[in-house]
Amino acid sequence: MRLFEATHVFKHDWDTVSLANWRKYPNDKTPHVRHVEVLNQEIDPETGILRTERLIMVKQNVPTLLKKLFGGDASYVLEYSEVDPRQKSMVMQSQNMTFSNILSVGEHILYQPDPDNLSHTQFVQSAQLKASTALCRFANKVEDMCWNRFKDNAQVGKLGLEQVVSKILAERQAVVMAQVAE
Amino acid sequence: MESISKECTPLKQEYDACFTKWYSEKFLQGEKTNDCAELFKQYQTCLKKALKEKGLTKMIADARPAIGSVYKDDLLDADKDKAQQQRESNKP
Repeated sequence: MRLFEATHVFKHDWDTVSLANWRKYPNDKTPHVRHVEVLNQEIDPETGILRTERLIMVKQNVPTLLKKLFGGDASYVLEYSEVDPRQKSMVMQSQNMTFSNILSVGEHILYQPDPDNLSHTQFVQSAQLKASTALCRFANKVEDMCWNRFKDNAQVGKLGLEQVVSKILAERQAVVMAQVAE
Repeated sequence: MESISKECTPLKQEYDACFTKWYSEKFLQGEKTNDCAELFKQYQTCLKKALKEKGLTKMIADARPAIGSVYKDDLLDADKDKAQQQRESNKP
């Protein structure tokens, strides 16, 4: 089993970062994410919490060993999230569906205001990768390769989000300038 | 972004645009009403048909417990209900 943990602070407020999360795809940093479908989405009428279930389809080049084991380079991930606009928290849990009998990848993500600076956003990511023992001598190698790929994807994922945040800020700036010009 | 089913792409894009506007202008300000409900219904109807055709429905249902999803798949339930009805009608 491999564990992955990362924390990061986005120097933007939680409202902006949480919006960027919904607008994240497509972006040129994460071309491996090909489709994002919303399966279910609703607001709890009492708490105001937004619950969402999404289906994500990923396709990227993988080492030949993985391609042979998985039978291809495309996979589906299921994600469930809850966003609390009063507490300013966004929690996401996802799990791979394709070839889950061979490898299980579970990821947990939290976005909340940075306790050290409430106008910034703390991002906490953790993941668990476990290869099936049925892979025998390949299990460790498969976990290593997948962990490395996960780490790379996590890095470009952050860059992708930053890019979307910049876009949102530029749009807001354009609106302000247009209002001033009137 | 395109949908997994080309047919659903315009519905998906319309819903996504409505959702991100609503999220930014209403949801984050504490509003609980869902402005995009009608668009979502249309997109979801198309999508569920596509998921069934691609054989993804069971895979989705199986993955739900691992992520703590509150949702049940009504397509899968609809299939189960149909099978149950058939069994009932086949009883002597």
